[in-house]
Amino acid sequence: MKRWQWIAISLLTVASLVVEFNIEHGDHWWSSIPAFYILFGFAGCTAIIFFSKTLGKLFLQREEDYYDVE
Amino acid sequence: MWSDLFTIPALPMIVGAIILPLLPKSLRSTTFLLFPLISLAIVWTLPDGTLVAVEFMRYTLIVCKVDQLSRVFGIIFAFIAFAGGIYSFHIRETGQQVAALVYAGCAIGITFAGDLLTLVMFWELMAIASAYLVWARRTADSERAGMRYLLVHLFGGSMLLGGILLHVAETGSLEIIRLSESGTLASWLILGGVALNAAVPPLHAWLADAYPRATITGAVFLSAFTTKSAVYVLARMFPGMEILLIFGVIMTLYGVVFAVLANDIREVLAYHIISQVGYMVAGIGIGTEMALNGAVAHAYSHILYKALLFMGAGVVLHTTGTSKFSGLGGLAKSQPVTLWLFMVGAFSISGFPLFNGFISKSMIVSAAGEAHVDTAMLLLMLASVGTFLSIGLKIPALTWFGADRDIAVTKPPVNMHVAMVVVAVLCFVYGVVPSLLYNMLPYSVTYEPYTAYHLMETVQILVFTFVAFWMLRSKFVSHPTITLDTDWFYRKPAGFLRRLVVDSLGQVFDWVEEKIMIGVKKIAIRARNPLTFARNLQAVNPASSERADFDPDVYRPPAELLIALILLGVVALFGMIVLL
Repeated sequence: MKRWQWIAISLLTVASLVVEFNIEHGDHWWSSIPAFYILFGFAGCTAIIFFSKTLGKLFLQREEDYYDVE
Repeated sequence: MWSDLFTIPALPMIVGAIILPLLPKSLRSTTFLLFPLISLAIVWTLPDGTLVAVEFMRYTLIVCKVDQLSRVFGIIFAFIAFAGGIYSFHIRETGQQVAALVYAGCAIGITFAGDLLTLVMFWELMAIASAYLVWARRTADSERAGMRYLLVHLFGGSMLLGGILLHVAETGSLEIIRLSESGTLASWLILGGVALNAAVPPLHAWLADAYPRATITGAVFLSAFTTKSAVYVLARMFPGMEILLIFGVIMTLYGVVFAVLANDIREVLAYHIISQVGYMVAGIGIGTEMALNGAVAHAYSHILYKALLFMGAGVVLHTTGTSKFSGLGGLAKSQPVTLWLFMVGAFSISGFPLFNGFISKSMIVSAAGEAHVDTAMLLLMLASVGTFLSIGLKIPALTWFGADRDIAVTKPPVNMHVAMVVVAVLCFVYGVVPSLLYNMLPYSVTYEPYTAYHLMETVQILVFTFVAFWMLRSKFVSHPTITLDTDWFYRKPAGFLRRLVVDSLGQVFDWVEEKIMIGVKKIAIRARNPLTFARNLQAVNPASSERADFDPDVYRPPAELLIALILLGVVALFGMIVLL
């Protein structure tokens, strides 16, 4: 990732926060939590990666010839 | 009556499949494109309420019935068959072309079927035609996968047929009606059969098993028809069924988890078919007008971007010989066009603003919000995080970026890129002008996707999904592994069952056959000369049965005995004639 790409991403985030604090929110329980979707995206992605990888390691992943071995 | 036949949208494809092999080989690819276009023209021009009925035995079969719902599915099915035709233009294999036409024709046939019998006939034929697209890869692996695919689908088809027969026995009608509240065994069987084609877990494993093993061009067709025609039937027969909301949400996350583990581009895409169809199933489960609109719109968008993604994966497989991450990396320099066209599909499926996934997926999520199923709404958004993670980030990172493995890359046929451009343009156009799609939906649309709140929400989620991925990118190192899924339950015991049922029974048969053959041989030797046999029985003294020297008087019957036997026979014959 180049420096300008990080700057672009930061600007987008700031812009989204400016919008968030200046518009009406929905009526869900999470609507009043500030920067909820930032937390949701970050925590959600992390959780998916760790949950999947753990599940794979414990139960699901096998060698490629798993079904060929009788 | 005969002119009515020309209004059946499935017919040009099926007739095309018959005509195509009769044409010179050089004309087949061009002619292939004609049939989906004719179908598209018919679907586009047929007015709502068109009915084509045929008498069959005691029943009236409605082979074509048009309304808003069937029209929108018909349009996208016909279009994607056309785009698939461009993508496979370089293929000179009649079998695949015919199978693709029949397959697409059956999907359109299902869409416009006005009765259950027509529906199930197209349903079964579709399974066979699509299985061929897996077999046509002609590897030992695809041969076995194709057979598993076909067997699973025949099982599903039997469930559907069983349900339909029960339904007809109960109601006496073949009409396709809403069965959401029915709760009879018949309706559950129909739901089971359709859910299998929609890849609802645990009946989903056929999809991720077969699609990555299909031919390069076949996978593009496969990604469009089977699951979406099932979504269509669910939307028609089971809208508003709560269990579909639950299973739909499970599907969206199930696909996400398995896609993180998959080691093949096409397997990731296959699991994300399950995930995306989950949104549609959930929308149908919610059952409000907005949710149903969302489900239909998402099916439409999904067919476009998923075909585009499979096309991109196909180019990688065509040019490098593999689609496994463990053999890929650093292709961005040699394949910039493929990368960016693939990224259009990736942006679409991830729900980036300005792309078609944004305008349809958000409709289902918002419908969940309006229906006050908050947990479902949050889980659907979580699945959307996983979609961007696997398709927007993992696939490009492991295929086009990451460690350069100096892979030898050939040039793809131009038509592959042309097809990708056509579909990519549409993904973008529908994303920018949502009304083009919204105007086709079954109910009138008041939903507005481009609101400040929605854009803010999307930007925050996507940006921070990326940030989390970037921080954890070391976790995505490809290993040559496979991931177990519910197909384990029929693949692993298969060897044991074969030994138990086929092999052991075969051994019993072999043993019996061997014993019988020995017996027959003995009898045959003895029966050659009954006299010798009788004499040997008499030979109590073992010494006398030794045949050291050949003695004609012992081993050849004396002539007088034969004459006596013949005379006796004649006397017996006369005796019988006289007596009778």
